[in-house]
Amino acid sequence: MYQWSGAEEEKINAIFKPFVDACGVKIVAESTRDAGVLDTRVKSTPPDILFWPTTAPLTLYPDKLKDLSTVGADTANYAQYWLDLGTASGKLYALPAKVDIKSIIWYSPARFSALGYTVPTTFEELNTLVEKMAADGNVPWSMGFASDAATGWTGSDFIQDLMLTQQGPQYVLDLISGNVAYNDAGVMTAYETYQKWAADPKYTVGGSDGTLNTPFLDAIYKVFQENPEAMMVKQSGFAGGEIVKQFPNLKYGTDYDFFAFPGIKGMQGGADYMMAFSDSAAAKALVAYLTGAEGAKAWAQSGFDLSPNKLALGQYTDPQLIKKSEALDKATGFTPDLGDTIPAPFGEAEWKAIIQVVQGGDIQAALDSVAEAQTQALGK
Amino acid sequence: MNPFRSLNRIFRAIPVNLALILMCAMWIIPTLGLFVSSFRDKESVRTSGWWTVLSPRAVVGQTEYSTYCASCHGPNGNALPNVDLSDPAVVAQYTRDYQLLAMLNQPVNGESHLKDPTLPSNPNESLAILGNVLNYMQSLSTSANRGLGLTLSNYADALVGYKGTNTYLDDCATSGAEASIKFKCNASDLLNPEGMGAALINSILVTVPSTLLVIAIAAFAAYAFAWLDFRGRQWMFALLVGLQIVPLQMTLVPISRIYAQIGMQNTFIGIWLFHTGFGLPYAIYLLRNFIGSLPREIFESAYLDGANHWRAFRNLALPLAMPAIASLGIFQFLWVWNDFLVAKIFLSAHPVLTVQITNLIDPRGSNWHILTGAAFLSFIIPMIVFFAFQKYFVRGMLAGSVKG
Amino acid sequence: MATMPAIMKQGKWTPWLYLLPALLIMAVFIVFPTLNTIVLSFMDRTSTQSAAADCVAGQPCWGAFENYRYALTDPEMTQALSNNALWLILMVPATVAAGLLFALLAERVRYEKLAKSIIFMPMAISFIGAGVIWQFMYKIETGEGPQTGLLNAIIVGLGGKPVAFMSTYPLNNFMLMIVGIWLWAGFCMTILSAALKGLPGEVIEAAQVDGANGWQTFWKVMVPLIMPTIVVVTTTMIINVLKIFDIVFVMTGGNYGTEVIANRMFKLIVTDTGRSMAIAVILIALMIPIMISNIRRFNKQEEER
Repeated sequence: MYQWSGAEEEKINAIFKPFVDACGVKIVAESTRDAGVLDTRVKSTPPDILFWPTTAPLTLYPDKLKDLSTVGADTANYAQYWLDLGTASGKLYALPAKVDIKSIIWYSPARFSALGYTVPTTFEELNTLVEKMAADGNVPWSMGFASDAATGWTGSDFIQDLMLTQQGPQYVLDLISGNVAYNDAGVMTAYETYQKWAADPKYTVGGSDGTLNTPFLDAIYKVFQENPEAMMVKQSGFAGGEIVKQFPNLKYGTDYDFFAFPGIKGMQGGADYMMAFSDSAAAKALVAYLTGAEGAKAWAQSGFDLSPNKLALGQYTDPQLIKKSEALDKATGFTPDLGDTIPAPFGEAEWKAIIQVVQGGDIQAALDSVAEAQTQALGK
Repeated sequence: MNPFRSLNRIFRAIPVNLALILMCAMWIIPTLGLFVSSFRDKESVRTSGWWTVLSPRAVVGQTEYSTYCASCHGPNGNALPNVDLSDPAVVAQYTRDYQLLAMLNQPVNGESHLKDPTLPSNPNESLAILGNVLNYMQSLSTSANRGLGLTLSNYADALVGYKGTNTYLDDCATSGAEASIKFKCNASDLLNPEGMGAALINSILVTVPSTLLVIAIAAFAAYAFAWLDFRGRQWMFALLVGLQIVPLQMTLVPISRIYAQIGMQNTFIGIWLFHTGFGLPYAIYLLRNFIGSLPREIFESAYLDGANHWRAFRNLALPLAMPAIASLGIFQFLWVWNDFLVAKIFLSAHPVLTVQITNLIDPRGSNWHILTGAAFLSFIIPMIVFFAFQKYFVRGMLAGSVKG
Repeated sequence: MATMPAIMKQGKWTPWLYLLPALLIMAVFIVFPTLNTIVLSFMDRTSTQSAAADCVAGQPCWGAFENYRYALTDPEMTQALSNNALWLILMVPATVAAGLLFALLAERVRYEKLAKSIIFMPMAISFIGAGVIWQFMYKIETGEGPQTGLLNAIIVGLGGKPVAFMSTYPLNNFMLMIVGIWLWAGFCMTILSAALKGLPGEVIEAAQVDGANGWQTFWKVMVPLIMPTIVVVTTTMIINVLKIFDIVFVMTGGNYGTEVIANRMFKLIVTDTGRSMAIAVILIALMIPIMISNIRRFNKQEEER
């Protein structure tokens, strides 16, 4: 059972195909995105294997899930932080099957080389580059929240990447769980950097008005249009698709490309987790397949985002995925999108603080009110 | 004497016509802007204001082109036959300034490409110049104007709920139905649940029964309040006056919980009843005032002729109250048609026009061009109703507010 | 109620047969839910226990009135309440004044009907549609491209800097009010115009014979005569403004300091029902004075009939 459908479903079928052909196990798949449907199924006739975009089932059905290390999973192929994310009360209930990373920055290699800029590899280099661009009179960043009914997620993502760089993944996980208060000094540092970049027209197109009022697709276009207004835009993988749709003449690798957020210690992104409700032979075979070398290879070649399986590295054929897989390999942790994970009142307070900070408001005051909402929402 | 003549003195200083025309212009320009925009193509909507629709596009870069290129390539770009800058195929190789820069950095016949003048040594300044040159080159190779950029595709996109990056008409013309899973490129696309076509049908399915139901139920109650005697008539009617202003926000949660329990969430009957409930206080009030002010004699003579209440209601009160019923109908129709909140909460699975417009706002960014078409599609029917029955609408409004 | 034709016979149950469908539907859809909402406003966010359960240790708590503590003291809510107050103070008089001005001006030209239709037309379209229309007016381009929003194009054309109308506080509130005025001035105009047309000519003539000038005639004679209508129009506008929701919802989502009560209530309706219901109760509490005055006025009219 999984939540993929349409074109995604075709890709997962391609990944399963070598396994189905070799073992003769028949996979009866079921697709839903509705947590309610899942709940009904789990309580009546749970699926053998479940793929789900969060680890929520870990806390919902701990007594029904099987420890994956007893269901044939090859845990050696996964970084320790993945095992930690999938472990509850000492048992490994979930392993990620598919990962998409968000912590990337899009730029134009040709323009960079024409202007003598090089891709930064550390946060200090990024900082230097940003200052250099600004000194040259080039606006380094293009940012955009879009103003109508906005949720400010592009701002939230950016700040999360700053925290992942400056503080590391565990820090972000602690913020989500409430172990670190939102007005902690580390958050403060990230907001200071963000305020500097997002509120000043020297650093971002249009300054704070631009950040707040530019629709975020426009923010992407502004870097790659004929008369570009900025040099870089921080945006998830989908930006690549948007760039070619808007500017069909541009070529990946020369006209547009991306690099991982320089110096980031853990990646931000979305992961779909694999869980098992059965330890039948067929379930064991499937888990073994996906966590082993063959599954990793099939996944990498299918072009269905990234497989966190270490053996998938070097098997990708899509140039963008090759690059992303290398970035993921260097990461020492993984965090879900904070804005998507925290409870609504906490998220709303965060969004409000981001606006205040972008509009040049006092960071400490803004963060204090988020911390209060965080306490209220998480009870910590 | 016309009482307003006396006011002339106040207004003598103000040119009345000028003031009024100015105000009318202020009132109509926002709508006009959206109307014009709805016929402009995506790129035009994104990059220029609607008021520029008739003005030619400005071409920048002529100065830079004259300085750096015209001496060799000629003012029209066709002086060198082997590199004809008015040839679209040649210009198409260069879509960005840095490509032009890379080309210019390559020597021509062993000499630098640009000699007099050369480009500034600062790449930033060179790129700024070349961006303009490129823009001018492009205008040389295309027939300067791409026309006015007018199109019906915004309406087509809105009707079928197209969310791609091209346009629905283009997609269907170039690659046909197989290009997309969602569209068949025939009339059935109009019923795509994500489009304004389906929403239009939903809106009609919600509005018409809600309007008729409220009229029917209110007419009975209004007759009772006007011509029947029962205990509590006075205070019940006073209560009705109070109920008119209960905000519907008060009732959303309890009703949606009941609906969820009995499976009426996302059903048309659920939303009909809700709208009827909220329309009733005003409807009864309006009709009672009208039916109650009919001459008592006609009811008396009907009774003397042997009519009972049912016949008096059906044959006298209803036909005579037609003007008031018309007013009420228009009122309720427009109110339900333009409602957003109730439809959003009780019928989100079958979005009506207002809800569909907000669904069309692409959460990932800007698709203004589709919104323009969508908004106007939602205006068509209320505009027709409004202008055809304006008299009744005004009358209903006056009866509801002034006499109340 | 003076219109009772006593001579007509009626069955004991006849009135109730005529009334039953209406009373039933109103009871189910207005009266019961209103009472239920009041109950829910004292429950926690799961609607299963007292609102006191939502209190967090070490934080202020009003016990069963916890949701009301939120609704009256939370910064978002105080912002919303003060914004609604701002709408009441500025937008209501402005709309009524605009309506009156239109009514007076339109009387004096030949194209009265056309002019009135233009002003009145926004009444026919939805708030959502109006939101789309006005977003086009208020758009801002902060980069190097041309302004595609009319207002900013004019500002830039006159040599100014473009203004972020929707994200600049408190300017954005006034810009939203302009949309409200645009929508409702036609309503005020129509009703006030009817009242003006109904004025007795002799009274005004008499005033002029007494030597009053036009200005005095307007303020001292006409305005007092149409005062009852102005009151009705104003109370209707007050209700509209207290309930204002759609405009804010589409144009700013309540962000950037433009929050209003009804939008706040809508935002919390799923995640925090108890608080949402407390806001709804406050909304109706604000309307009760108007409700009472409407009933009083109604009773007075009935006596005069």
